[in-house]
Amino acid sequence: MKRTKSINLDRMRKVADRFRVKPIALGISAATLVLSCSSGRGVNEGEIFADLAACKAQYPQLAQECENAYQQALRVAEESGPKYASRSDCEIDFGARQCMNYRHGGNDWFMPAMAGFLFAQLLDSDRHYRAVPLYTSYSSHSPYYYRWSTVDGYSYGNYRYGRVKVHRDTFKPKPKVTKTIKRGGFGSRVAAKSKWGGSGGSKWGSKGSGSRSGWGG
Amino acid sequence: MQRIKCRERENWRSLADEYGFKFHTMYGEPYWCEDAYYQFTLRQIEDDIEDPSAELQQMCLAAVERVVNDEVLLSRFRIPEDYWDFVNDSWLRGDKSLYSRFDLAYTGKGPAKLLENNADTPTSLYETGFWQWLWLEDKINANQWNENVDQFNLLQEKLIDQFRDMRKFQEDIVLHFSCCKDTEEDRGTVQYLEDCASEAGIKTKFVYIEDIGLGEGGFFTDLDDEVIEWAFKLYPWEFMLREEFSLFLEEADVNWIEPAWKSILSNKALLPLLWEMFPGHKNLLPAYFDDDERVNSLEHYVKKPIFAREGANVSIVQNGQVIHHSEGPYGEEGFIVQAYSPLAIFDGDKHALIGSWIVDDEPAGISVREDSNLITQDLSRYLPHIILG
Repeated sequence: MKRTKSINLDRMRKVADRFRVKPIALGISAATLVLSCSSGRGVNEGEIFADLAACKAQYPQLAQECENAYQQALRVAEESGPKYASRSDCEIDFGARQCMNYRHGGNDWFMPAMAGFLFAQLLDSDRHYRAVPLYTSYSSHSPYYYRWSTVDGYSYGNYRYGRVKVHRDTFKPKPKVTKTIKRGGFGSRVAAKSKWGGSGGSKWGSKGSGSRSGWGG
Repeated sequence: MQRIKCRERENWRSLADEYGFKFHTMYGEPYWCEDAYYQFTLRQIEDDIEDPSAELQQMCLAAVERVVNDEVLLSRFRIPEDYWDFVNDSWLRGDKSLYSRFDLAYTGKGPAKLLENNADTPTSLYETGFWQWLWLEDKINANQWNENVDQFNLLQEKLIDQFRDMRKFQEDIVLHFSCCKDTEEDRGTVQYLEDCASEAGIKTKFVYIEDIGLGEGGFFTDLDDEVIEWAFKLYPWEFMLREEFSLFLEEADVNWIEPAWKSILSNKALLPLLWEMFPGHKNLLPAYFDDDERVNSLEHYVKKPIFAREGANVSIVQNGQVIHHSEGPYGEEGFIVQAYSPLAIFDGDKHALIGSWIVDDEPAGISVREDSNLITQDLSRYLPHIILG
């Protein structure tokens, strides 16, 4: 056969077919999947610390692991943490005196201070210790008011230290975020050529909710 | 190779709605047509199209190798000098290509001839990989045809495989998809590739070309200010290398699909170079830069801009007379000349052009477009094909 053997037609459908009855077995297997995940290897425990000293005090035998993990959390905060053009914008979301100026490689912006970090041993083959930055807000307008949040807005409950269950997406790489200076630097030539200049009207808007949408009040 | 009339599926328009195929009718004219199909024999497909396409692809890769190492050729290919290293680096790194489409003149007899290589922003992908596939499935499921009827169309399978392969090097990185605003056809094509990437387990996000931002630190960003690290762009390199943000291409360090070295293959200057490197090859037509005096040896030829899309700014010349000319906005970078090769003609005026798809350097399937004109343009019609016998 010289053609594709099978295609996942559900993936290709763009309109939900209201009359199509989904096989009941799908629902069952999905439910089983959720159960086995929550009780299985996908989840482990981690511990929230305020700073490096707290980690070392709790685990003197893991001082080096604390150090490495903490540095890693700082890096994630730099690359993927919330960033604002002005101190006041940042303080609206995180509260007074919670934000700092950050200049690096041509960047000049304001970021909330890392309020703590989540330290956990991954259940992968290397059993590495890892960490991600956590933030909290002192602004009563924020959904993260006295609550922990990761860079992508996942909440680890109330602002207190100690052991928590690690959400499985927490240690996945996060999109890097930067302050956009300007847009429209691509696409100018196309406007001058006929083919792309035509009508058509696309309604596939894709702005959607971004990773930043959860910070405001 | 035959053109055979047949009955349309009664429900195809509602199926098109269901699957989001919005551009089956364009500019008020039918684009997808299933009141006829093209039929090939297995021998025609394998010997005349598939094997030559594999060979042409290798010849093209050899041409890239030659151009990136030759400043005279880089100039002739109109690659801006500031980007020679950028293009060469993408080639030396082995940045992976996703897909290309060769346009072939083929009449069912004799060797197929390469007209051009759409190596950077080929479209008619969804129609080929999915929609004509579904057409045949429906015909077989409705018992109109038996299982002996086949189609040369591994396109979707191979696209997903290639995405899966690329994903190994981009673990957990979001793949941004991008095309220009206000074109349903391009947006549909990009949506199709997003679907294929999702099927391969890749996280995807969309941003219009015009909305791409320049972020602090020299990154490109999407509308959520997220840094673009890996991107598919349905936007030609010859534009990208000449626009305001070109200056930041190097620093932004995006892993692009198609990679920058494809700017050499999507370029009509490839045609004279191939003819010089592989003179007399059965699947090539004599081709020269238009300032080459050997142009005078051609009685019947086609003059094409080095950069152009959808058959724009093409002239057909016979015995010194321009017998056909298409308008368009291209041509400022110069022209090449290629010997004329007739397309297959059916039912009097239907000129059929074969698109031969390449994924992962291997032939992946074909598409057939037909036009009442000598030059296939963006008002051409798409017809499905089958293999039988």
